[in-house]
Amino acid sequence: MSDQKRGIIKHIHKLISKKEISCMELTKKYLDEIDKSLLNAYITVCEEDALEQAKKIDEKVGAGEEIDILAGVPMTLKDVISTAGIETTCASKMLMGYKPIYDATAWKTLKDKGAVLLGKTNMDEFAMGSSCENSCIGGSKNPHNTDYVTGGSSGGGAAAVAGNIAAYALGSDTGGSVRQPASFCGIVGLKPTYGSVSRYGLIAYGSGFDQIGVLAQTAEDASIIFDSIAGYDPMDSTSSPKYTPNSYESLSGDIKGLKMGIPKEYYDGVDEEVRKLIEEAMKVYESMGVKIEYFSLPEVKYTLPVYYILVCAEAASNLARFDGVRYGHRTEHYKDVNEMMCKTRSEGFGAEVKRRILLGNYVLSSGYYDAYYKKAQNIRKLITSAFYKAFREYDVLLTPTSPVTAFPMNKNYGSPQEVYLADICTVPVNTVGIPGISVPCGFDSKGLPVGMQILGDRFSESKILNVAHRYEIETQYENNKCVDMGVRL
Amino acid sequence: MISREEVLNIANLSKLYLDESEIEDARKEMDGMINFAKKIDKIDVDFKDLPEFNSISNAFHEDEIKESYPQNKILESVDGGKDGYFYIKKFN
Repeated sequence: MSDQKRGIIKHIHKLISKKEISCMELTKKYLDEIDKSLLNAYITVCEEDALEQAKKIDEKVGAGEEIDILAGVPMTLKDVISTAGIETTCASKMLMGYKPIYDATAWKTLKDKGAVLLGKTNMDEFAMGSSCENSCIGGSKNPHNTDYVTGGSSGGGAAAVAGNIAAYALGSDTGGSVRQPASFCGIVGLKPTYGSVSRYGLIAYGSGFDQIGVLAQTAEDASIIFDSIAGYDPMDSTSSPKYTPNSYESLSGDIKGLKMGIPKEYYDGVDEEVRKLIEEAMKVYESMGVKIEYFSLPEVKYTLPVYYILVCAEAASNLARFDGVRYGHRTEHYKDVNEMMCKTRSEGFGAEVKRRILLGNYVLSSGYYDAYYKKAQNIRKLITSAFYKAFREYDVLLTPTSPVTAFPMNKNYGSPQEVYLADICTVPVNTVGIPGISVPCGFDSKGLPVGMQILGDRFSESKILNVAHRYEIETQYENNKCVDMGVRL
Repeated sequence: MISREEVLNIANLSKLYLDESEIEDARKEMDGMINFAKKIDKIDVDFKDLPEFNSISNAFHEDEIKESYPQNKILESVDGGKDGYFYIKKFN
């Protein structure tokens, strides 16, 4: 099997280190394709910085120095990850023109390894949404069919990777924002354990749920990137001090005898085509000696209300900092401080962001705090306990990533609660703080990709990446099919 | 049912202005959300011994003095400030 089929990172590393292509040539190829692309994946393209970094890598290679596996690999960051001196907008009018003064730790780590940042990718405003259409520059388009959404909120990154205008992307996942667009765009999306990748420099939405995640072509690529960005960071007080990632070394592990639990509740209301493809994947695992067992995890049905109460409350507090004084947008005309703040915020935030701030402040307000917020915190513990119990029985769990495949752009989705129902498969992972990975497992009759989700206990990234990787090898990467566009190496 | 006054109060706390149609939309949406949240109303278990989703607590570090970001650099995020401070127009 060629390196390229197993992922693009090792392939690019080989091309650059054997001088079959210069990093400069490669970066220019990507920049050209970004320029021609109709996917609306990028908010900012960092041409100058990318070429400067490429030049440095070529000089190192020229001098015979050994380079990191990620050196010279062109990538993107979701526009919620802070980049010193480079505009970071969160796809919001509120932050247009805002240039952070420091780098997020995850980005700094990659930059120090020689990663080439092509640009900042599109997203739902402040990561609130699951279609990428709540963006102040409009939604990104799905490379498999440009009339369909990419999913979200990390939609731009997913479109860039699936459309070959970036080798990989970092996104953020608060309730499925890496896994769901990965599923809609036919790529791999890893949401790591809460506390495993530093959140320093990730502009906060729901601080108790947010996690930087990886969008990549294959599980092997995701593993290489995850190992690079995970680890303790004193700048993030929720960063875990006891964790050394070595998922790449675990990729060859045998999965014979592994116990895979299928939580029945995840399959209620799932589209028939999606269900069938996941059942096919179960058969693949069975043929590899994995023991499959259905079981009940009824606590899952409480997750959506718990998640939306808590995440809106956290969003309302986190977004209070956008007051017109210290960051980004400030209204033109005002007569007192209250009017300045109200006008600034009303002009700067989009509809979904305002909705979540209002709901958050409602559940936090006097008289309702105990009934909603505190209750939801307690039920979060109940759900956590149920998952911990499941992981005493099973090594991993297998679920759909989304009950449906990508939907058409500009569709009327109904009430916000109807829209939130589609997040049922992804939000439990963030509520419990465990890792999850979405892996492509086929295509529906419209030719749109379907993703399956593998969940593991806390800090079990090595295990879930290996389970995903073994499936990709067994199925000869037939579901990780690249779309015929962008840079083909 | 959530009243118009409640919506206006929450909007004020949120430092958001809402126009007439937004007030009505927000009222309906908040009503919908509260009904949605009622799913968890009746659950009655003893939560005391249940695990937290994140085992990290009291993540203190040594109180060492480290270099801060320069004031002028921070002020670049807005419009450069004035005399080392954030600066907004005088209120009329």
